[in-house]
This record gives sequence, C-alpha cells and structure tokens, in this order.
Amino acid sequence: MSTSTLDSPPVVDGPTRPRGPSRSMRRAKVRGAILRHGGLILFGLFMLYPLIWMAVSAFKPSHLVLTDPSIIPTELTLENFVNGWVVGGFPFWVFFGNSLVIAISAILGNLISCSLTAYALARLEFRARNVYFAIVLVTVMLPMHAVVIPQYIVFSNLGLVNTFIPLILPKFLATDAFFIFLMVQFIRGIPRQLDEAASIDGAGPFRVFWSIILPLMKPALITTAIFTFIWTWNDFFGQLIYLTDSSVFTVPIALNALVDSESNQGTGTLMAMSVLSLIPLLLFFAFAQKHLIRGIATTGLK
Amino acid sequence: MRHLSRRRLFMGAGAAAGAGALAACGGVGGGGGDSASNLRYAFWGNNVRQENYQEAFDLMAEGNEDLALKVEFAEYSAFQERMTTQMAAGNVSDIFWIPSAQVMTYYSNGLYRPLDGVESLDLSDYADADIQDFLLDGEHNTMPFGVFVPVIRYNATFVEEDGVDWPESWDWDAFAEFAKEYTAESEDRWGVAYAADADLPFEGWLRQRGEQLWSEGGRIGYTQEGLESWIAWWEDLREAGATPTIGEQDGVGASWEDVGDRCLAWFSNSNHIVDDATMFPDFEFALSHLPVDPSASDGHQFLYFPRQAIYAEASDANAELAGEVFNFTTGDVEMLKVVGLTMGAPVNPRVAEEYVEFASPAETAMLEVVSEDREADRSPRFEAPPGSSTWRTVMTRTLEEVTTGSSTISEAAAAMIEEINQGIDRAASGEEDA
Amino acid sequence: MTAALRAKERPPGSPSVGPSPPRRRGRRSQGLAAHAFMSPWLIGLVLVTAAPMLASLYLSFTDYNIMSTPTFVGFDNFERMVGDERFWASTRVTSLYVLVSVPLQLVFALMLALVLDRGLRGLSIYRSAYYLPSLLGTSVAVAVLWKQIFGHDGLVNQALALIGIQGTNWLQNPDSALWTLIILNVWTFGSPMVIFLAGLRQIPEELYEAARVDGASQIRMFRHITIPLLTPIVFFNLILQTIGSFQAFTQAHVISGGTGGPVDSTLFYTLYIYQQAFVNFDMGYASALAWVLLLAIAVITALHFTLSKYWVFYGD
Repeated sequence: MSTSTLDSPPVVDGPTRPRGPSRSMRRAKVRGAILRHGGLILFGLFMLYPLIWMAVSAFKPSHLVLTDPSIIPTELTLENFVNGWVVGGFPFWVFFGNSLVIAISAILGNLISCSLTAYALARLEFRARNVYFAIVLVTVMLPMHAVVIPQYIVFSNLGLVNTFIPLILPKFLATDAFFIFLMVQFIRGIPRQLDEAASIDGAGPFRVFWSIILPLMKPALITTAIFTFIWTWNDFFGQLIYLTDSSVFTVPIALNALVDSESNQGTGTLMAMSVLSLIPLLLFFAFAQKHLIRGIATTGLK
Repeated sequence: MRHLSRRRLFMGAGAAAGAGALAACGGVGGGGGDSASNLRYAFWGNNVRQENYQEAFDLMAEGNEDLALKVEFAEYSAFQERMTTQMAAGNVSDIFWIPSAQVMTYYSNGLYRPLDGVESLDLSDYADADIQDFLLDGEHNTMPFGVFVPVIRYNATFVEEDGVDWPESWDWDAFAEFAKEYTAESEDRWGVAYAADADLPFEGWLRQRGEQLWSEGGRIGYTQEGLESWIAWWEDLREAGATPTIGEQDGVGASWEDVGDRCLAWFSNSNHIVDDATMFPDFEFALSHLPVDPSASDGHQFLYFPRQAIYAEASDANAELAGEVFNFTTGDVEMLKVVGLTMGAPVNPRVAEEYVEFASPAETAMLEVVSEDREADRSPRFEAPPGSSTWRTVMTRTLEEVTTGSSTISEAAAAMIEEINQGIDRAASGEEDA
Repeated sequence: MTAALRAKERPPGSPSVGPSPPRRRGRRSQGLAAHAFMSPWLIGLVLVTAAPMLASLYLSFTDYNIMSTPTFVGFDNFERMVGDERFWASTRVTSLYVLVSVPLQLVFALMLALVLDRGLRGLSIYRSAYYLPSLLGTSVAVAVLWKQIFGHDGLVNQALALIGIQGTNWLQNPDSALWTLIILNVWTFGSPMVIFLAGLRQIPEELYEAARVDGASQIRMFRHITIPLLTPIVFFNLILQTIGSFQAFTQAHVISGGTGGPVDSTLFYTLYIYQQAFVNFDMGYASALAWVLLLAIAVITALHFTLSKYWVFYGD
C-alpha cells in the first residue's frame, strides 16, 4: 500500500511530477482509484459513525436522545440548539469569541517562542545544548495535575484569575515545550548545506533563521498551529480553574455546564452545542491542511 | 522547612512572574463581569439550574442591590476541581455549596465561618431541634438549603397497568419477595434496579440495624456484618433476576435513562424525582418510604442536608451580606417558586408550608415523605470524616468486585472497610503533625 | 543514483542523545545568539515551569493536604507506593495501554498518511474527515458516544446480535473496558497522521526528481528517500505518543466518571494522581506519584533516544 502512494500519476494537490503513462496503465490506474475511493469512503463512514450519531442526536427532542438512541430520528427539532444557546446569561457566541481570542493568541505565542527556541537547539552550537534539550523534554513529562495548583496559586495571587493572561502568557514563553521538540525534529530534517551556504555569504543566525529555516519549516509551523488551536479549543481544566465568571467562559466550560452529572439532563443540548463547537475546528483544519500540503514545492535544494 | 507556608513557597515565583506577565501581556484579558457587588457565590449544576438561580438572584438583588452576586458555577465534579485549586490559593468564593463527602474535610481545613457571628442571618423560623440538626461538631457553621431522605421511587403507571398492590409501607423481606414475583410475572420489566451503591438508602439500612454510616468520633459507624448484610440483600435480588444485570443497567449505579422506563421501583434520594421524572414524560412516578423492618431501632429516620457555607476569610461586610443571601435562598418562598425543589424539600419549615400550593405533583410527593420523616424522632447523624472523601468510589469498586464475582461479599466488605479506615487514619495523622 | 540521493544515504550512526552533536569543524560557539533565541523559553522555564515543578518535587517529600502547611516526611510517600495496591493497578493499566495503543495508533496514522499524501482527487476531504474524531478529542460528549457504541444496547452488540451473539456491556466489563479506551485512542489517530503528512511534505521534491532521472524504481525511492527522511518524524511521534499515553487522563476521566472503574480496570496512572490530589487532597502523595511517573517516562525516553541512533536518520 505504501509504495503505491508514489506511483499514482495525476497529482491533484501535491506538487506535480512529469510522467507519461501508457493507456493500459491508465485504465489500471482508474480501477485502482475507484477501489481506493471505495475503501476510503467505507473506512470514513466507520470512523465517523459516532459523529454522525452525535449530529443526528442534536436534532432529537432532548428526552429521546438517550432513551431512543437509533440513528434514524423519529422526530426532528431545534429545541436543543435553542436551550443550549445561553449559558450563564451569555449567548454561545460570546464563548466562541473568548475561545477564539485565546486560541489565536496561543497560536501566535507558540509559533514565535517555540520556533526561536527550536532553531537554537537544532542549529546553533553552544555549551550544554544537550542539557537544555533534555530540560525541554523533562518539562513535558510531569503530569499537569502535579503543577496546576502551584501555577494557580501564582496567577491567583497576581490577581489574574478571570483574565486570559494565565492561559496565553505561558504560550509566549514556550511552555508548550512539546512543540519545541516537534520543530527541532523538523529543522534537523533540513539539509545543513542550506544554512551553511548562507552563513558563508555572511548571514548571521537571525538571517539564517528568518530567511532559510523558517520558510522551510512551514509544515512544522502549520502543524503547531493546528495542534495549538485544537488543544486550546478543547482544553478544559486550565480554563475551568482560571475562568470562573460566565462572561469569560470558553466553549469547553460552557459545554461542561450543559451536563449535570447527577441527573443526566441536557444530553441533547450537549450534543447540539458539541456539534456547533466542532465547526470552527473543522474550518480551521480544512484551511490549515491546504497550506500544509502546498508549503514545500517551491523550496528545497537549489 | 516546616514553617515555610505554601503561600511563601510560591510567592517568590509569583512576584517574579508578575513582572513578566504584565510586561509581556499587559492588555490582553477578559472583563471581570460588571456586577456592582463583589460577593461571590459558587455552586454546581447545569445551565438550566444556573439560569433559574440567576433569575432568583436577580429578584433578590431588586430588593437590595448590594446583594448582586458574582456567580461561579460548574458541573458537580468540575465544581470540586475548581474548589480545590481555590482552596489551595486561599481564593474561595464568599458563599459556596459543599459536596457531601467533603463536609468535614472542608471543616477540618477551616473553610467555614461560624454563623453565630453573622448578625444578618435570620433563624427565627427554626426550632432549637432544627438548629441542633445543622451543627457540625457542635458548631453552627453551615447553612443547609434543602432536605433529602432515602426513598423508593416507583412507577405509578406500571402499578396501575400491571394491577399490582403497592402497600403504604414495606419491610425489606416483603419487598424482596414482591420484586422477585413482579419480575417473574412481567415480560420486560424488573421489580427494582440494582442500587447497592445508593448512599442514603444504605445509611437508612444501617440505622435500622442500630448502626451508623459515620460515628460521632469521625470513624466508620457500621460493622463489617452490617455492610455485608446490605450487599447480600441486593445480591439476592440480582441473582434472582429481580434487577437488571449490571451490564443492562450500565454499572452498579443504575443508569436512569437506560432502564428507568423498565424498572418498577428505584431506590434513591427523595429529590431526584424532580429531574428524573422529566426524562419519561409518559409515566407517573410516586414515592414511598424506605422499607422498615419490624425490629428496626427507634430514631432510624434521618434527614440529609445539602449545605452551604460562608468562607472563613470572607470580609465581615461580605459575611453580613451572605447572611442576607441565606435569608433569601432558604427563607423566602419566592426563591423556591423560581428554582423549584431540585435540591430537596425546603429546610425552613415555614417556607415548606408556604410552598405546598406551588408544588408540582412530583414535588408534592417529595414534600410528603420528607415531612413525615422530619416529624419522626431521629437519632443524630454525622458527616463523612476527613480522609473519607472517596468512600463512594471505594464502595462502587467493592460492589463491582462482588457483582463480577472476583471477590466474595465478606472479602470485599472487609477490604472496603480497611481502605476507608486507612484514609481516615492518614488524614488524622496528618492533622496531628501539622 | 544522484549525488543528492547519495548524500542522503549516510548511514545513521553518530551517537548522540540530544540533537546533532557539534560536529562542524572549528566553528565558534554561538552561545550568546543561542541564549537570545531561547530567551522566551528560558524566562518561561524559570517563571512558569520550573517553580511549580520544584514545588511539586518538594511536596513529594511532604505530607500536604492543600490547606495545611506541608510537613516534611522524607521518603514516606515513596515507601507507601510499594504497598499501595491501587498504585500497582494503575501502573499495570497504564503500561498495557501504552504498549498496545501507541504502536497501533502510529501504524494506523502512518499508513493513512501515506495513502492520503497524494495521488487521489479529493484527498483533502478525506484528510479532514479522518481528522474529525481528533477534533472532538476528549470532549464530554465522548462519554455519550462511547456508550452508544460499546454499551449494552450499543452498536457493537447490535452488530453481534445479527450473527446471534449476545454481547456484554463492554464499558462495564473489567476485562474489556480498557480496550474500549484503546480503541478510542486509535480512533483519534488523526493527530499523528497530520504530523506524518507534514513530514512527508517536508521531503524535498528534488530528491525524488533526481532519483527518477537516474531511473530509480518507486520501491527504491520509498526505501531510500521516504523512509529515511521520515524517521525523525516517526521518532518524534513515537516519543510524543508514548509520553501522551503515559499521561492519558481525560478519556478515562470522562468515560468512567472519574472512578477508573469498573474494578479499577481503567485506572490510568494520572487518574490516580488526580484522585489523590483533587478528591483526597493528598497532594504530597500525588506529587510523589507524579515524580515517579516522570522518572519512568524519562528512562523510557532516554532509552528511545539511545536506540534512535540505530534507526533515525537526520539530514543535518
């Protein structure tokens, strides 16, 4: 299966490769394409069944969501969207806005801080580099529950509860160290001849970083952006403890407030709002992955 | 090192981080809400409850604009997570609801402000005996805002459809026989859902045996035999097929949405009828008292109170305001007319009477069983001691071991008691050291 | 074989633990520039990360119930683990989870990344579709969804009923509950898949072109270009997923309602830490548990790095 990925000619959204297959080959290709589409669609349906169920449930009357869980609804209604739209006196779009502000700031923060650090760790030469790199890794290893309380105490004593600062500032300080590691791995995949050539032409480290490395690591940057967006959008715990006022609630906090674990009320509204909350993620991903695919063609060894 | 307080420990880092925070990120941040007062009120539930409470609070603030609350709410377990971090930072809401398993843990950590000094708090509706029920360790430091009792909830529609006889009161053996017979005769209905994990019915069982859930000294109040007898009663029903299988009811704690419409009876808390009834609008539900053995010891009835408290470090001014909030939330029928009785029958006897005319059928059923138990003579009950906060999780696991056959009842019961005891010991030794 | 291709075929081997060793001859140290580049991270390390980490390290040697003053107790917390059955239960659960779900998820992700890399119309739609489950991630809604699939009347049992088998309630059966979480993890293979896709995109097209001019076969190009150049990314995903699975929390928290049941069969290690810290208020013990986990992960990661010199190939 893996080798076939390289020999299928009409490249659609990847960079094109000049080829000239014969007619019989082409017919085999068409048959192959149909098979692959069939397989991919079947597998996709299998993968997406739970989400389809969720989308259907969003339109069922609330008390039927769990008591009549068939995927073909007997009754359709918008009541779940109406009932779930307001949480804590604020309409859901406020939470979308808050989540968006946090997510976009976090993306900016991670892109800037992690790429700078990763470049130094992957390319510059200095003493104790391996030690720094080990520290980067160790900071990802401690489970969050062990540090969240000390961190909360710090931000709370600074009076920053109910602001977005505790959720955004750390991203500008590269505390999502996992992305540093990601970028280091990508930078190390870039041939060194490129920056050496530039260095010989007199470019300093920042020039090399800015005009050689950064454009070449676009896939890593986009991956970082995608992950940061999704993680921030879904981060529950951090947002729960720092944001207590419903005016600063984010999507996951508002979603959580729809369920009452004691009584199982509100499953219908949870389904409805979960479906809505997926939409920005899906749009962002669809947009970003286009760039993920187009990033490279014009660069490389020249 | 011993005297290094946790605040000190983190403040150094805090001061430094502050400089960085403000320099790097000055302008970003959300608003802090625009309510005039800074009185914070923390509670749990879902957005429906939150909306109802907000409506009631708005009503309260119309009377006194100092009482405009800053509300902090979340779902039950999220509420506790947030509460824990706030406790660590000394940043707890002025008024907060107390999760049942944490009542004494919070108390031992000095979270409650004694209410004797809160002059605005109006207790004139309560008899001395009522107040006596509220005390923790002899102190009046929490304010109950509802009353639950253990009940059998049953499907009155089934009783009618199936033409069965539902007596005024049950004893345990008779109920078990009845449940088995009913299941045998019915095609797709069970007599009762497996509910050995239901805490209030379990406590009721123990008290009828002359035991307690928790002792006055902050230990387990029951014997291994008492625990075993309770589990055995349920195992007998389960093995006879009078309850759904654990798989069918989705866990040892039965899932209402899965089998609620196929079980005649359901052991639970009196307040659950209000929310649960809405899931099956085609059925009518009613409440009975827990079965009582003829030999049951006197004073076995008891009331469970959901409690709220004023934070020990709230300012005096806020504490006085909080007292007025209590007066409204527990002493004014207008509050309950808006929020209903999802948190149990009114704790204030006057309000309980005033509310009768506004009660829904489900609420009326609840008010009746609660007021009957309230009139009974009751021996005192005690809350879960520090270190036992996870006892219900432990009990669930114990029941899972029994129902999957990986442990016998007595092995599992012994292990449960030992595990809970260890937790209590550990918390107690920690306190001595500190 | 082109020069470019040959240049890529340097045998992987120079021993190193961190990123590439300073092997450039006679280059002066770039310490000042490096620290300037790393300054955001260094500030964050000192102010946001290190202090809480060190605090938790200190707390792991104390008895600390969140409200009290920490009392130093030496190695008591660590000794307690030895006799703590639930600690061992959670260790077993977590190890099995890591061992099974990490390889499965990575194989799925890599295979689909290769299939979805190029060559078909509408690939971006498939990519988005396959990524959707990862978007939902560990939201509260997952608990509801999983019950619809693995519950007593769920999809799996409905399918089994068609062939006459009465299935169990997979979520409530201690023998199968963990497997439903493993499936959940594999279901969200979209995240490593995206990283693989990014890695495939990073491989310079010129290498393939040059090889093609030299008449190299597809299989040869796959073996000599795609695979070696993708190894750093495979390695990264391996490390990331291993650490992530050791720290898996939300799945079990959401699906078991925080208990880790039935009978502790889904008691992930971090779930146990959480129970000790946030429900039991036993922050000292929770911190000790956390540091033991850190040590375990560190050892395994170091092992991965040591082994990596035998199979990971870097372009630098």
